[in-house]
Amino acid sequence: MTKRNTFTAVAWVFCFLGAASLPFLTSRYQISLLTEIIIFALYGVTYNLLLGYGGMLSFGHAMFFGIGAYTAGILLTSVTGTPFWAIVVCAFIITALAGFLVGSLLLKVKGTPFALLTLAFNSLFFAIAFKWYAVTGGDDGLSIQRPNIDLGFWTLDTSNVSTFYYITLIVLSASILACWYFTRTAMGQTVLLMRENENRMQFIGYNTAVSRLILFTFTACFAGLAGAFYTLHFRFVSVDAISVGMTTTVLLLTFIGGTGHFAGPLIGSAFYIYLQDYLSEYTDRWPFFMGLIFIVMVMYAPGGVSGIIVSGGKWLQERFRSPKREIEGT
Amino acid sequence: MEEVFVFFLHGLAYAGLLFLVSSGLTLVFGMMDVLNFAHASFYMLGAYFSYMVLSMTGHLWLSMLICPVMLFVIGALVERFLLRKVHSGGHVHELLLTFGLAYILGESVKWIWGNYPLSITIGGFLSESINLFGVTYPVYRLFVLLSSICVGIAMALILYKTRLGIIIRAAVNDRTMVNALGINVPLVFMGVFGFGAALSGLGGVIAGPFLTTSPSMADDILITAFVVIVVGGMGSLLGTVVASLLIGELQSFGVLLFPKFSMALIFLLMAVVLIVKPSGLFGVEQS
Amino acid sequence: MSLLAVKQVYKDFNGLEVLTGVNLDVREKGRHAIIGPNGAGKTTLFNIISGKFKASRGYIEFKDNNIGALSPHARNRLGMCRSFQITNVFHNLSVFVNVQAGVRCACGLRYNLFKRPENMAEVNRRTEAILEKIGLHDVRDIPAGELSYGQQRALEIGITLSTDPELILMDEPTAGMTREETAQAIHHIDVATAGRTLLIIEHDMNVIFSLADTISVLHHGTILASDTPEAIRSDQRVKDAYLGEDE
Repeated sequence: MTKRNTFTAVAWVFCFLGAASLPFLTSRYQISLLTEIIIFALYGVTYNLLLGYGGMLSFGHAMFFGIGAYTAGILLTSVTGTPFWAIVVCAFIITALAGFLVGSLLLKVKGTPFALLTLAFNSLFFAIAFKWYAVTGGDDGLSIQRPNIDLGFWTLDTSNVSTFYYITLIVLSASILACWYFTRTAMGQTVLLMRENENRMQFIGYNTAVSRLILFTFTACFAGLAGAFYTLHFRFVSVDAISVGMTTTVLLLTFIGGTGHFAGPLIGSAFYIYLQDYLSEYTDRWPFFMGLIFIVMVMYAPGGVSGIIVSGGKWLQERFRSPKREIEGT
Repeated sequence: MEEVFVFFLHGLAYAGLLFLVSSGLTLVFGMMDVLNFAHASFYMLGAYFSYMVLSMTGHLWLSMLICPVMLFVIGALVERFLLRKVHSGGHVHELLLTFGLAYILGESVKWIWGNYPLSITIGGFLSESINLFGVTYPVYRLFVLLSSICVGIAMALILYKTRLGIIIRAAVNDRTMVNALGINVPLVFMGVFGFGAALSGLGGVIAGPFLTTSPSMADDILITAFVVIVVGGMGSLLGTVVASLLIGELQSFGVLLFPKFSMALIFLLMAVVLIVKPSGLFGVEQS
Repeated sequence: MSLLAVKQVYKDFNGLEVLTGVNLDVREKGRHAIIGPNGAGKTTLFNIISGKFKASRGYIEFKDNNIGALSPHARNRLGMCRSFQITNVFHNLSVFVNVQAGVRCACGLRYNLFKRPENMAEVNRRTEAILEKIGLHDVRDIPAGELSYGQQRALEIGITLSTDPELILMDEPTAGMTREETAQAIHHIDVATAGRTLLIIEHDMNVIFSLADTISVLHHGTILASDTPEAIRSDQRVKDAYLGEDE
């Protein structure tokens, strides 16, 4: 057990170091893609906490991503001189509030009605962003400048692609780590109970309304953080960020990566962004191929890429260990 | 006063169209508990097929006969070769599959017919206007309403008066039991899914000359159709009728009264209904 | 002194009257069984006591609190826990986690965002102890869904014990078991519930007579008789109720 944990920790550290050394090896364009991958990885991880861990199928996760994105966009266009950290903190707090508010209205709804109601709330927020032109810029969106980070002794120039990549890597990796820690805590275990048997939980003393609300708020605020970095990364935010299409994106990438494993959305994000980038170079019909890949995955590999890796690993283990196990068994 | 009457009629016509699309959805949903995200894509296909038939023959009635049959076949094939295979994976998989399918159909349409609206024009009496209680009103909108009433009555008769209807309703309640009675339930399901697709396609045929035929028409109606079945109560035909009327009128008067928030209004309605009665207006409360 | 008192409880489902004035007194540390023909309303009574349904009329008092309006989790925290007739476990989670869930809850570690249950010695010790008691220690890391039927029933009892309740409600714990499994289950229940109050629904008369010190007979929605096993055995009304229904 501890051996495995050490292995996982070492693997994570290597991933992080690998990601940190990439700017020295690749082009500016690749670094920009990597930044995008990290942003969508966090977005996917929060979605997977809902779907894979909590068993709650939401069609409205983009509302939190979008609220975070607009918080950053609006702060940077309406309030002059907003420091970087303030944007991050505000996006986090405002989406937490939104998550709490929407979550508390949805306490009693489960299953398909829950999916549809989240969709309805998403559409409501979309309508607001679309119509409130004075603040959100409506269809035109908002263009922003990234603020530099003043550390007192040193100013980080965020317009540099690599610098912004490192900032994203550090802040969002820490957030992903926080999400991972969440799955290990008492609350994280409670989330699993929710997925498995919400009815029985109540009879051993759990208030399922409280646990739902905590999960919903938690995933909302980290999705909002990802949204804020989305705006900072593209230096632009439009209704795309809060559209149903953005929910579709997170659903696709989470499912492609696999909902059965924490790392699923990380893989899914890399897979999704690269594939989209690759396909759109050759064809502007990439949604067609996305749809095709999606159907094939649902039919033949519902565990996603991480599911394939895990079962491949098990298969190898069986193959090499089976004679030994037979001896142990007898 | 006259304006109110016109908007009331607009609302009725839109409600008729909504009913055509969402009745098929509610049938499929009531039976298989699958939220079919590709349902509106069938509606879109219906409109495009109708565009083809009309440009070749010029007869709307021909289109209304041929297109639903084509969609029935497509729907049945989708059920047989795609949906059925992922049934064991649970609702989430079924739902995600139709999601992917909607993507593919949407892109295919853009590929074949181009990413711009097509205009369908029909000649004859249907394109004229008549005087109705002192108001001049386009005949076609009344035709939309009339068609949906006919479909609604036909569906009610089939579901509640024929042996097929009894089998369908029984299969909804207890799939294994009906299967054990020697009825080929998978075949019934395939048929019903096809029928749902055909209804949706008919909606598309009728919507073509009334709204614009474009690749985004699926997205435009999909969410509204979902709202209809959720507000009406999932799987309830009566609920679908009532909710279609409610939302059709709300949409119509919303445009008149609060043009900025007409879109938000129906979601507010849905949110209120679901928070007060999660099973919808005519839905059965699940314990 | 009575731990649980059910007073004039009525329940109807859309006009169908299932309980028509049930009165029940469960003594502290007592072993109380409820028997009755099928459809007498036994499980409905359990659902009302545990908070799954609300009674149409009447009172339920637990430790002198009126608990009629409380939700299931609040009732559990006052010190009662129930088992289910149809196995109701957390299928894809390990046996250990299944039991740990309730232990955690009893230790106040429900929604903690910082503490990791695997590091809580007290939680783990109590979980291990329960696994030991119900004989599932060897399969602690297997997902609950992969256990045999008998083991799942044992786990059902384990989950019920996990919140350390004063009052244990057991709904047909031996339903569907073979004779040997039943004997073992009785032994487990006997050991595991020692020193606690037990209210049990059972069909199997062997189970009833080897466990209970008081038996109440529920028939047509009311309690027909409440007495010691010997007295119930010779009660004419009980005989009539059973023979009249079954034959």
